[in-house]
Amino acid sequence: MSADTSLDRRQFVCSTLAAGGALVIGFGDRPALGAEAQTIIWDKPNPTGAIEFTPWISIAPDDTVVVRVTAPDIGQGTLTQAAAFVMEELGTSWDKIRPEYGSTNRDYKEGKVYSTVGGGQSYFSGRSTGPDRMKTYMQVAASARERLKAAAAEHWGVKVADVEAQDSKLTHKPTGRSLRFGEVVARASKVKLETEPTPKDRSQWTFLGKKNPGKVQIPDIVNGSLVYGIDVRQPNMVYAALRQSPVQGGKLVSYDADAVKHMPGVLAVIAIKPNENKPSDLKPPIPLGVNTAQHAVAVIAEHYWQARTALDALPVQWDDGPGARWKTTEQMNDAVLQAVDKPGEKIEKSVGDIDTGFKAAQKIIEATYHTPFCEQAPLEPLNGTALVTKDRVDVWHPTQHTLLAFYTAADQTGIAPENVYIHQTYVGGRFGRGVFCDDVRMVVAVAQQFPGRPVHTIWSREESTRQGRYRSMLAGKFKIGLGADGMPTTLLARESGGPGFSVSGLVDTAFPQVIPNVHIESQVVPFHILTGPYRGPGYNSNAFMIESLIDECALATGIDPMDYRLKLYGKWGDPGWVKCLKEVREKSGWGQPLPKGQGRGVAIANWAMRGNANAGTTVATVAKVEVSEDGKLKILQVDIAFDTGRIFNAEAVTVELQGGTLFGLNMSMNEGLHIKDGQVVEGNFDTYPMLRMANAPRVINVHFGGLSDFPRYVEIGEPPAGTIGPAVANAIFQASGKRLRSTPFRLHDLSWA
Amino acid sequence: MAISIDVNGKALEVDADPATPLLWVLRDHLGMTGTKFGCGIAQCGACTVHVDGHPMRSCQYPLSAAAGHKITTIEGLSADSSHPLQQLWIEMNVPQCGYCQAGMLMAAAALLKQIPKPTDEDIDQYVSNICRCGTYPKVRAAIHKAAEGNTSRSTT
Repeated sequence: MSADTSLDRRQFVCSTLAAGGALVIGFGDRPALGAEAQTIIWDKPNPTGAIEFTPWISIAPDDTVVVRVTAPDIGQGTLTQAAAFVMEELGTSWDKIRPEYGSTNRDYKEGKVYSTVGGGQSYFSGRSTGPDRMKTYMQVAASARERLKAAAAEHWGVKVADVEAQDSKLTHKPTGRSLRFGEVVARASKVKLETEPTPKDRSQWTFLGKKNPGKVQIPDIVNGSLVYGIDVRQPNMVYAALRQSPVQGGKLVSYDADAVKHMPGVLAVIAIKPNENKPSDLKPPIPLGVNTAQHAVAVIAEHYWQARTALDALPVQWDDGPGARWKTTEQMNDAVLQAVDKPGEKIEKSVGDIDTGFKAAQKIIEATYHTPFCEQAPLEPLNGTALVTKDRVDVWHPTQHTLLAFYTAADQTGIAPENVYIHQTYVGGRFGRGVFCDDVRMVVAVAQQFPGRPVHTIWSREESTRQGRYRSMLAGKFKIGLGADGMPTTLLARESGGPGFSVSGLVDTAFPQVIPNVHIESQVVPFHILTGPYRGPGYNSNAFMIESLIDECALATGIDPMDYRLKLYGKWGDPGWVKCLKEVREKSGWGQPLPKGQGRGVAIANWAMRGNANAGTTVATVAKVEVSEDGKLKILQVDIAFDTGRIFNAEAVTVELQGGTLFGLNMSMNEGLHIKDGQVVEGNFDTYPMLRMANAPRVINVHFGGLSDFPRYVEIGEPPAGTIGPAVANAIFQASGKRLRSTPFRLHDLSWA
Repeated sequence: MAISIDVNGKALEVDADPATPLLWVLRDHLGMTGTKFGCGIAQCGACTVHVDGHPMRSCQYPLSAAAGHKITTIEGLSADSSHPLQQLWIEMNVPQCGYCQAGMLMAAAALLKQIPKPTDEDIDQYVSNICRCGTYPKVRAAIHKAAEGNTSRSTT
């Protein structure tokens, strides 16, 4: 490897870009902050005197390595994982790495410097460990390391092969001389390598998969200093409280601003009207129709409580619009249940011949399932801060999709994207709620009417809950023909839900791939309730339906549900399924006798395989439950095996699997929104209950023996949310003899005697 | 009219309506944003502070009531994150998104003050905060470990 110091910086950038990794080394004068991230995570201007070469990594004279991250960290650890990729290759010490978000504004201005990797998904919080991101970080880190080594070799006049990079130091091995990274970074930025280095083979890794670093922002969480969206404070900031049409799609008729204008602190009362999503040159990653504004009123005041108090006192008249025709939840339930009694308009999948299949079947199983509207209920209520001036907009926001937020702010204001700045904050959960950026649009729309001062808009919990982008209600009607060996030969499935409902988890899971005759149809019912992503869209409902049905098939044929699945999924081309089942069978104590009133249930599913073997993450869950004679349900133990191919951080994977399990358990046991006269009834945690320490299972064991080692590292947050519900439902059947075909379970009478 | 309150050992003057919940006084008038808003109806516990050492959900506790009492927030749980629970929260990687964790820590700290060696049932009863990410198994384990007095940090 030779070094050539004659190239200027531009050539350097070009040469490294051409090498497949957008390497730029920069340096600045920021102090090192140690292992933690920073309390403020959004992009910041470069400090005075800093010279920057690459969008992804900069190294300061004090050895601080800033790693730019695009995917928002919503608790799953995107910041830490990006840092870990760099750690593996750079030879820095861990406590010198400091993650920061990569600017969407810069991405726009500089030819998609960040979103070239991952495209429209680049600024989306999911899939933080995708292969494209891994390759980018490891390539730029390896390239930076080689340049640092070359610079040190040049400084000493020695062979680069004798220089080692470790713990943020460059050491000349024969003599033991050393230099800090920061001491040679200026020289390193001018080094041109003849060939870019190849990142290490997995067998050589010393950090990834070996060390399991905790999330870098945790030290700032435990002292309360981490800045979430709701903690943003800007000079001269005012607060807004917001109310949108109680029936989604309704219109604002009138409001009496004079009634509240005199109240303490009140600065303005404003109305929001839907934008028309006019055609534009913008190229958002998701069409902007997903976040059309609702009619709304807002009160702006000096302090939040003043705004909130005045909003509560504000007389408002709404025209509920067509949504009001949905008088009750039962009426909506009936609509989807009636829809699945008839052929659906859309054929989702059709293979073989179901008529012949059913004629030849030895046994027919028929059942109808139903799951309700659910709200993501992140603990940080929706909120955001925007400052709109004539030609610039700044938004500080806990969004889950920074790039969509960017285009949404540009679209809402009409301000040129060059002058739109999204400052991604930390995020207090989201679980899909922050993807569509309707909250970003509202925040900007409010601030637009109070230009020149930053406006911090906060949804009350009730407003957050009742103005959701919900998981859709979903009904499924199933007819399964079983062959002589008890295995399914034929499947007819019809599903129905509101606009935006998804057949993911039915059409694209393993089940219909191992059955010769399959026909699946769907039907949309024109509800007015708005829908959006919720920890595995479609999948989390369909995993409940399919995995409960498979238990019904097993029990109808007298085969143990675990054995039944082993046989059924043994036909599927992905060996991870059987491996997970075997692992969880062994580790859960499956088959060991239980006292009366207790039962075990199993379920297995995969998100997001999209019909493919050796793709997505497979999770097998066994739940052990107790149902008292008077119907009280207790989850005694949960065991999980999973196959996500490979993993980087066992600690991060464990907490995601536990967290996803508890999320799915709450969904299955507790969650379901009701509708009255078109409005969402539930507003807060008193009526939309959450599991707490007292009723969450104390034991959630995560087992690693299901990993197949197929070369993939895929999402881990959504998959466990699908399997816990059916595992518990199947266990409840074993314990009480009651088959649950709808959620939430808390509405079912589980008593037995 | 200014009202004087004692927060983390400092006497502070607040010019706000006496009916304003302490939560919003802390966050919005005093700029102490560690105490979080989650529900506003004393359900979730994200806003938990200590009033004279006892846990209190500050979203339902008016400013007028706070006068004359010693208020402790997450910012005052320790000066330097040295409280054993804060140390264990870091060591054991307890938080996920972290939003509920200030309240969780304040509830757990109050429990340990009241009951130095809590049982699982004590934890269930005293730490009723909502965590949507599902950190409950870690929170429970960390409280038990704190009770053992074991705060030694691991090396990895």
